[in-house]
Parts: sequence; C-alpha cells; structure tokens
Amino acid sequence: MGQLEWSTDEWLRHLTALPGVAGYEHVSVPEFEKVFGLFADKVERDKMGNVLAWIHGTGPEPRPRALLAAHLDRIGFLVSRVEPGGYLRVVSVGGFDQRTLPGKEVVIHSKPPMNAIFGTKPPHLQKKGEAERVIPLEDLYLDTGQPESVVRRRVPVGTMVMLRQPPVGLLKSRLASPGMDNRSGVAVLVRTLQALRERRPAWDVIAVGTVEEEDGQICVGARTSAEGLKPEIGIAIDVSHGDMPGTREGDTVPLGGGPSLCMGANIHAAVFDGLRSAARAIGLPFSVEVTPANSGTDAMDIQIASLGVATAVLGIPCRYMHTGVEVVEPRDVDRCATLLAHYLASLEPEWRATEVLK
Amino acid sequence: MQAARAAKRSGAPRFEEHLLEAFSNADGPSGWEAPVRALIVSAVRDNVDSLEVDAMGNLVARIDPSGGRSRRGAPHVMLCAHMDEVGFMVTAVEKDGRLRFRRVGGIDPRILLGQVFRIGQNGARGVVGALPAHLLTNNDMNKVTPIEELFLDIGAASRDEALQAISIGDLVAFDTTYESAGRVRKGKAFDDRVGCAVLASLVQKRPPVPVTAVWTVQEEIGTRGAAAAARRVAPDLAIILEGTASGESPGASPEEQQPRMGGGPTITIQDRSLMADARLIDLLAKTAKRRKIPTQWKRPGVGGTDAGRIALSGAGVPAAVVSVACRYIHAPAAYLDIRDPQRVVELVWHALESLRKEWP
Repeated sequence: MGQLEWSTDEWLRHLTALPGVAGYEHVSVPEFEKVFGLFADKVERDKMGNVLAWIHGTGPEPRPRALLAAHLDRIGFLVSRVEPGGYLRVVSVGGFDQRTLPGKEVVIHSKPPMNAIFGTKPPHLQKKGEAERVIPLEDLYLDTGQPESVVRRRVPVGTMVMLRQPPVGLLKSRLASPGMDNRSGVAVLVRTLQALRERRPAWDVIAVGTVEEEDGQICVGARTSAEGLKPEIGIAIDVSHGDMPGTREGDTVPLGGGPSLCMGANIHAAVFDGLRSAARAIGLPFSVEVTPANSGTDAMDIQIASLGVATAVLGIPCRYMHTGVEVVEPRDVDRCATLLAHYLASLEPEWRATEVLK
Repeated sequence: MQAARAAKRSGAPRFEEHLLEAFSNADGPSGWEAPVRALIVSAVRDNVDSLEVDAMGNLVARIDPSGGRSRRGAPHVMLCAHMDEVGFMVTAVEKDGRLRFRRVGGIDPRILLGQVFRIGQNGARGVVGALPAHLLTNNDMNKVTPIEELFLDIGAASRDEALQAISIGDLVAFDTTYESAGRVRKGKAFDDRVGCAVLASLVQKRPPVPVTAVWTVQEEIGTRGAAAAARRVAPDLAIILEGTASGESPGASPEEQQPRMGGGPTITIQDRSLMADARLIDLLAKTAKRRKIPTQWKRPGVGGTDAGRIALSGAGVPAAVVSVACRYIHAPAAYLDIRDPQRVVELVWHALESLRKEWP
C-alpha cells in the first residue's frame, strides 16, 4: 500500500526532495535503500555508498548481469567561509549555473537545518551599470537573517547547501524542480524494478544508485560499482537536454517525446540496437541523441570498468538543466522504465559482449 | 511578546502579524491591487468611521477621536502605505506556448533566471528557464540576459494550450510564502505590505487625532495613486509608512550598511523625492527618545516614496516617512525583523499623541 501505488509524479516529488550533493549522498541513502527495497529482491550498499538493488534472473547460473545506473547525487554547494555579520560564502559542487542564483532561497543542511537567501542588492542601491554584470559565485553570499553567533555555532565550514524550491506543477503534468538531474533517473530505476518483478528477465539486473557523478572528471560511483559487479551490459539513465527556445535542432530532444537513445563512443552498437528494436516492437516513441565523444554520464566510467562493458545511455528529456527549475514530463520517465523492462526481459541468456572469433 | 506587552502598557495598538502574513502572500503588482485591498478592507472595516475606494483604487478610511466630529485644533493626519508590489505582466504568447513578459516596477533582471512565478488569478505557475551552461559559450555565461529575451514556461506546447490557462495582460508575482525563523520574517512584497499591515494595525484603535488612512495604488510605477489620494484627503500633514531597503551586505562600508534590519524605525531625512518636514522629523525623534524606541536614519539620497508626491500636493503638505528596514526588497524573498513593525506602530501612535498637543 502507499508507496507501492504511487504515481510517477509522486515519486518525482519525493525523490527530488531528498538532499545529497555529491559526496554527501549518505544522508539520503537509507531512504533510497528503503525505496529500492519495495521492489528489489535484495538491496546492498557497497563501500563507496552506492545502493545496489538486485532482481534475480531466471536463467541458468552463472547468469550474466545487466547494470542500470542512475546517479543519486545532485548539484549544490558547501559552506566555505563564515564572514562578519554571519554571512556565508559557498563553493559549488557540480556546476550550478551562477546566473540563476541571486535571490534564490536555499536550505543549509546544518543541525537543525537553516534557511537562507542568496543576497541581492536592490535596484535603489545599485551603482549605474551594476545590473549588467553577472555576479560570479565567489561574490555571492548567503544570508540566514540570524545573528552571527548563531550562524557560527550552527554552520561549520563544509556544511551542505541546496537550493530550496518545492516542485511546481506546470501544464501537461510537467514538473519543475531542482534535482530532476538525476532523481528522475532514480525514478526510472524504481519504475523499472517494479516492472521487472512482474516480468523476470533471464539475466540478473542490478539497479545501482551511484554516488559522485557530478563532482569531477570521474563518475566515482559508476566506476566502482561496475568494477565490483563486472556486468556484461551497463546502461546509464540520466537527463538529456529537452527542447528549449534558443537551441539548435540536434542539441536537444523533445520534452514528452519519450526516452532519448544516445549514440556515440560510449555506446555499444548491440545495446543501442536492442533498445531501439525494443522501442519499435512496443510502439514506444523515442528520439536519438548524438553524443559523439564522452556522454557526460555514468556510462563513460562503466564502459572502461573491469574488462570493458557494453554500455548505453538512456536520456530523460529535461529542460533548464542545472537550474532550480529543471522540467521533466513524468510520462517520459514511465516510458524509459517501460523500454528498459522490455529490453531486459528480452535479453537472451547466452548473449555476451565479447565476440569469440576463432 | 515583550514588544506586545510594552505596547499594551504604552497604549499603542499591537502590530498584527497575521495581517503582514496574509498581505505578503497575496499578489498585487501595480494596477492590480484588488486582492490586497480586499484583505485590508476586511481587516479594518469594523474599526473605521468611513471607508471608500476612489477612482484609481486607493482605499481611504477615516477615523477620528470622537467618532466623526473632528476635535477643534487637532491636525488632520494622513497615514499612507502603498498596496502594490513590483512584478510583471504577460505581454504576448508565442506560437510554441511560451509567454513574453515585461516588468512592472524596478526589478534587477539578474534575479529572474531559474525563478518560479504565479500568473494571473487562477493559480497558474511558470518558470523562467535558462539555457543550460552545457549549451552556452563562455561568453554567454558571463552576459546578463535582457528581460526582452526571457520568457515564462508554463508547460504549454502551443499558444492555444497556454491561453487556456492564462491571458495576455495577466499580472505575474514571485511565488514566495511567508515564514518565520527566530525574529526574522521572510516573504515577498514587504515593500510595502509591512507598511499596509502597520497602518491596518494602527487603526485598530481610535487614534488621538483625526486620521485618514490611505492604502495607495501604483507607487512602484511613479507614486501615482498618492497623487489623487492626497488631493482628496487634503491633510494638514502626512506620515508615510514604508518597507525600505536595508543597506547591509558583507564588505559594505559602515555608512552604506545603514539602515539595518532590527535597528528600529527608519526615519527619512531626504531621498530622491522628498525633503522630509524638519518639524515632523524633530517630533518623531523626540517621541522616540521619550518612549525609548530605537530609531535610525535612512541613508539620504536613495529611493523615493509616496511622500514626495503628497508633500507637493495642493498648497503643500508637511510629510515624513517612517519605514521598516528590510533586506532584499524588490526580489523574490525579503527579510524583516518582527520587532521593527511593532516599534513603528508605537512610534507613529505616540507621535500622533504628541501632534495633538504640539503641532502648530
């Protein structure tokens, strides 16, 4: 009851509310474990903090493994300095678009949490021309409104800060919220696990909520979980740029147009073909997105883990990525899960990525 | 609570915080003040002797010590706060369903990207999106997008879809909710809903001199409502109640840090619209000293209020401005210290008592 019957809209609202900038996912890991546990046969946490949710296959052992990866972390900030007056300076974890920050409300994840605002100077007090200059993050500050002594006591340097913007429903059931990157991907994992319970694949499927995708050159959780699991196939689920005015055709995929299937160096042709055939077989709309070199997703690191993994990327169309109003259409999330479940259930027990030629 | 007890002792009315909350959460960009006015009407109608809405939409309430007959010799005081807030108006709907909009009042274009807005009266929400950094050149990342190039996304995929939810001409307000943390209150439009709530609190008691309380329209687009209202009221003097900009920010010089949130009522000496009446300033300062109410001076030379308009109306009206210093006005979320509006209520109330005795 309850969560077992939640709509995707409800899942998105729930998952985007959970904190966890890169490196601080552990604050919400128990909740992710609980959520995956509703549908998985087994849930584990590895030593990096990745959450592994298993669906046991029906094929003969040893069964090949398919890894589904959606990163748990989100972009945010860490407190870097407390200044006289109790104002806080922050550094960014992952790339928040600094143009979108002045005037925004945030939550400081102190104990107990405190709310704050990215301070702005009202037009009355600005010098001429000031409004034409983008304020770099290092010049922005957080103001809790509380006395300096309270701030110093409660907010140590290193405290996590997140944008504070509850999800907003738009027309066509679209939902705007910070953290759609990549909690909408986590929602795809939840929905896929749910579908696979009814429709067991021959393979073992491990849906992994990965840590630390956003914070640097290496997708840490993807790399380590793939090394540990040694999957045959790895599919990263992440947001893709949804269509927006001012972008060129080919740079984005349509919102409400179903999953985007990425094509490029990170993508194994057989997995791409398998996903595309599955979509066609069930008449599911999809678009093809071109990511010629690195896809900017967990797939980059899954691909080179272990002895090499046949990888693909499934994208959820999302507008205004890395702002507080990332817009996703829930039905695209559902379609990603439907496609994954169909594809995974159709995997032949004996298929291997390594071709033995002689 | 302490402030409230002090108020009880002093005979001044209590600042009604629930009014501030309701007024702040209501939407009323200039020219569309009706929702705010309706709340004020229900808050004050039982306590005032007369209540009118003039042709521009100003709300005018009269209340005097004897319940209708002015006491001989006591000056007729106009107390004034503006109902409107800065916001936006939907100006066009594009084929693909996005909305174009323009500013109503002074708003820094840099606070719009990634923000959520309420549109019209039917609860529609829209977001101002930003092209993701991934798709921009470094050059564009360091450029402020002009408002003319921004749009509101309400989720519509076509003009028809959009027009089912909103209309051209709909007013747009920040989607912000009033909150408390310690002494701090957070909300939108404290400029000037805090003045509106101070004024609504002041008329909960019968004042010591004849008062005409006016909640004006269109202050943010050129103090327009006050022009008509001042002529109608023709007061002997006027006190304008405002939410003004605090100067506080990290690294600013001590002079620029004034006034401060929590520093007590802010008194204006001079701004871009007004030289405040010296006798009134003196009376306010003396009253504050006698009543031990902390006060501070507004930094001269910045901003402007209805007071400028009222001071020049008719044959001239001595005018002063008493404000609550708020951080981050004209932005989605502002702060104030809840002790300040209570102190403004007390200061103005006791100033009215002094006026009864001392005004020439």
